Amino acid sequence: MKPAPFEYCRPSTVAEAVEALGSSESSRILAGGQSLIPAMNFRLTDVSVIVDIRRVDGLDSVGCDAGGVTVGAAATQTRVLNDDAAAATVPGLRAALRHVGHLQIRNRGTVCGSLAHADPAAELPALAVATGAVVGVAGPDGERRIDAGDFFLGPFWTALEDNELVTEVRFPAPPDGSVTIVDEICRRAGDFAVAGLVAVVEADAGAVRSARLVGFGLGGAPTRLPTAEDALSGWAPDHPSSGLTEAVMADAAGAFDDIHATGWYRREAVAALVVRAARSALAGSEAA
Amino acid sequence: MTTIETAAEVDVEVRINGRRHRHRVPSRLLLSDYIRDVVGLTGTHVGCEHGYCGACTVMVNQDAVRSCLMLAVQADGAQVRTVEDLAPAGSESLSPMQQAFHDNHALQCGFCTAGFLMTLESVDPDQWREPERIVELLSGNLCRCTGYQNIVNAVAEAWGAYHGDGGSDDG
Repeated sequence: MKPAPFEYCRPSTVAEAVEALGSSESSRILAGGQSLIPAMNFRLTDVSVIVDIRRVDGLDSVGCDAGGVTVGAAATQTRVLNDDAAAATVPGLRAALRHVGHLQIRNRGTVCGSLAHADPAAELPALAVATGAVVGVAGPDGERRIDAGDFFLGPFWTALEDNELVTEVRFPAPPDGSVTIVDEICRRAGDFAVAGLVAVVEADAGAVRSARLVGFGLGGAPTRLPTAEDALSGWAPDHPSSGLTEAVMADAAGAFDDIHATGWYRREAVAALVVRAARSALAGSEAA
Repeated sequence: MTTIETAAEVDVEVRINGRRHRHRVPSRLLLSDYIRDVVGLTGTHVGCEHGYCGACTVMVNQDAVRSCLMLAVQADGAQVRTVEDLAPAGSESLSPMQQAFHDNHALQCGFCTAGFLMTLESVDPDQWREPERIVELLSGNLCRCTGYQNIVNAVAEAWGAYHGDGGSDDG
């Protein structure tokens, strides 16, 4: 199918983009278009004005310093995936992007677009929550910054107000010596995950010292697993702490049923991913 | 405050296979339909129209993209390459990758083939070497005829041909 007719504009500044967004109640930002255009092709989304931000000055930048990586709203996933400095500073970026779509999708799709779209099964929102990323937003009242933990409110639902757009996201570098794991269970490479996990793990002397765990594909916003984080502290393969699986199952209690899997399966899958991530992080930190 | 103008019709100027095209088109026109219906290059096939099958893959500024997930206006000012450009101009011969597909029975109905070829041609030929890398590279293209193995074989043979060793022993 084809998109229904709409009005198109291509602003060259963020201010123009904000103004164009305000010109209609059903205006939408177009960056990579890899989620929006299929939805428009299927006529699943009602759009009267498309605001193409691909050529807004400065939005396609990827900035990297010792403290983290800042990705502009028009920077493609391929660009970030191939950026060695970004991968060295925030290893989770490359680890997550490898799971995102396929080559052709990543060549157009943007990192910020994935955050604004907030698909519950997407990797990048979970990475943003796990790393404590900050989303930069512009709107009629100026700019503001939103912690990723407060940005994702539910499936396809974010803290963006009407007429606001994401301009950049800042991923802080994880703690020195930590290992970032992005793992998922999906039916086909490149598909959205049935269940997935982003884990930032710090370890010493062969045991987990602390971990930050965020599940995705569970139905709503990226899901912090706080009880499991506590249960994982001190965990080692030969001294597995009791109750880790139960802790994950409790934290992920809201996982939903759909045609691909039951909520129960999703909870068990995330629990298995947590153990797999802990083992792999310990192996990784010993090798380092 | 300037007022930004919006329009339901847009001017598009694209270079496709080295030839310049200028048209005024509806803003909602997909790049795939622009290539096929406006420019008349029907080698690019349209399968699912929601980015799943990969049949419509073309190159935009050297990158493999799904032309059904791009508006024609998004390609304004870009260089586009389609399957029609792969074989050497003015000759009956095929590109090494096309020849390898032919020799290895890497297509049956041929509907998906242009998408596979454009994905493969968009990357450094060194990526045609490792079977694991080939499989990963082609994971965004569906084929319902071949079962993929002959395609993987063809890509490996094309890598050999590219490096001038004549490809595999074809007895």
